[in-house]
Amino acid sequence: MSDYMVSIDDNKHSLKIFSNYKVELNGKNFEVELSQLSKYSYLLKVNNNVYQITSEKLDSQNYTFTIDGSSYNTTVRTTLEEKANKYLQNKAKESGTEIVKSPMPGLIVKILKQVGDNVEIGDPIILLEAMKMENEIRASASGIIKSISAKENSSVEKGETLLEIG
Amino acid sequence: MIKKILIANRGEIAVRVAKACKEMGITSVAVYSDADKSSLHVRVVDEAYHIGSSVAAESYLDGDKILTLAKEIGADAIHPGYGFLSENSKFIEKCEAANIIFIGPSSKSVDMMGNKTTARTIMQRNNVPIVPGTTEGIKSYEDAEKTSLEIGLPIMLKASAGGGGKGMRRIDKIEDLKQAIESAKNEARKSFGDDSVYIEKFVENPKHIEVQILADKHGNYIHLFERDCSIQRRHQKVVEEAPAPTLTEKLRTKVTEAAVNAAKACDYYNAGTIEFLYDQKENFYFLEMNTRLQVEHPVTEAITGVDLVKEQIKIAQGDVLEIQQKNLKIIGHAIECRIYAEDVDNNFAPSTGKILHHRLPSGPEIRVDRGIDILSDVSIYYDPMLSKVITHGQNRKEAIARMNRALGEYQIAGVITNIHSFQWILNHPEFAEGSFDNNFLDREFIPLLPGKWRNELENKHEDVAAILSALLKDKDSKTKAFKRECNPDNKWGKDTYE
Repeated sequence: MSDYMVSIDDNKHSLKIFSNYKVELNGKNFEVELSQLSKYSYLLKVNNNVYQITSEKLDSQNYTFTIDGSSYNTTVRTTLEEKANKYLQNKAKESGTEIVKSPMPGLIVKILKQVGDNVEIGDPIILLEAMKMENEIRASASGIIKSISAKENSSVEKGETLLEIG
Repeated sequence: MIKKILIANRGEIAVRVAKACKEMGITSVAVYSDADKSSLHVRVVDEAYHIGSSVAAESYLDGDKILTLAKEIGADAIHPGYGFLSENSKFIEKCEAANIIFIGPSSKSVDMMGNKTTARTIMQRNNVPIVPGTTEGIKSYEDAEKTSLEIGLPIMLKASAGGGGKGMRRIDKIEDLKQAIESAKNEARKSFGDDSVYIEKFVENPKHIEVQILADKHGNYIHLFERDCSIQRRHQKVVEEAPAPTLTEKLRTKVTEAAVNAAKACDYYNAGTIEFLYDQKENFYFLEMNTRLQVEHPVTEAITGVDLVKEQIKIAQGDVLEIQQKNLKIIGHAIECRIYAEDVDNNFAPSTGKILHHRLPSGPEIRVDRGIDILSDVSIYYDPMLSKVITHGQNRKEAIARMNRALGEYQIAGVITNIHSFQWILNHPEFAEGSFDNNFLDREFIPLLPGKWRNELENKHEDVAAILSALLKDKDSKTKAFKRECNPDNKWGKDTYE
């Protein structure tokens, strides 16, 4: 038997897997039958209800599913991983730097602020061009800009650090 | 008679045109850039030619290169699709000079209508009502400020050469005008190579109603009724439908007549669309004319039974329009949803990648026009629209129910899409009523980002998602225990073993 904790948005679900055919979700028992249809799609029967699901595994803990036109981002952890994660989260809260990352790949058109500037949450800081549209990158926290690693007229990848607000 | 068409475009519209060619027995030719070598439009044509780098200016926008190729390979016509060269009158002139048929209007009509300020002047002269504002581009900041204050805020800045929301800004406070002009000009220059922007009064809570017309080279004009394209975000259409759900027969007559007059005013031939702002108080204002095929043309095809691309081709080769106005009627209702590669909850950030899984919806009255297929790439270079799902029904309710079903069946993996967000729109009471205006999404949906809009949906499948997550993780932990051998002789390749 294995225990898992699944987070979807703000909800947590606790799961026990007894066998390939029996699981317990939040204290309730379900009979399940899983077949993989292709690398990215599954057929799942839950108490004889049928679901065709698209699945993308992002890493060992994160999945994205599409079920009948709805999309779900799930984080699944073993009981041990869940404990480790809580510990790390508490540690991160103690330092107070907000890192602004590029939400998409694109070209930095203009940087509207300088290091040392005071910004309020929501203030536009950088103009980023992607797919022929200009997008404003806004401050995700209020504070003083500690550093800017983005450069005008250079391209950035998704997830690349643009600046730090402290 | 046209025998071979070079399709100077990419994505779903290039695929759409290739289908029409095939049905007419015409040889179809694709052109493609580096980024598009595995794109669907390259796979569905009879011939395909590489024309340059991924940057559009060095491939799809390079008219000279495309024209030279057309001559070399003996194409007798060029279909421009939408965007890229479709409304470039200089390119059309060059086609005319090179004796290659441009499947579209004359360069003269495009010049008149393509420039929004000229179009406004012509419409005003021909008694087609226009939105109050300037009929010339902004000359100086001082002039712009004066005009803005005269007609009253809020105002809109629009690119004279524009369309598709590029270079468009709404101004509520006069202090914002200077920065907005600069960024609108910047965007306009990049998108159209022309930085002229003009001022229009902002019409409160309008609907976007547009009329599809067809006109041949012999002076015959017909309209194919209207579409309602008011479901937009940041001026990008997201959902379109035909006919407009709340339009009375009287208003339909009024707007379609105005549209035919607008087409006549510029000696138009080809398929065309006249866009209007409808203030929901019986007033229509001419917005612009699109002298090309529209993204949303399939909803009109669905309610009229007319194949607009084939009509374009027939008109271009000089045929007389066979369809007569009196024989056209609206059959049922059709809806289109535009599927974008974007992360709705991450400020609509474009998503790029390879399409790893693609299952199309099927069944009665469902159509998918798409530019993607399994293993095609979605790159940062082009518009993030992947495909369009179109459903038709005997009435609007049935079309919506079909759309819900179709989007439930549609599966895409490899990029993030907006498919799941349509549930919110399709099940919203204002959408069901049809009373929504152009600001509907910005007003009702945007404030629910990120993620809060999901709370308004019936959350049927969260348990299923939770169960699957645990089952997959459990399976993973068990398969990790032994290492699989990859057999190099396996003809399906090593992916099979991953």
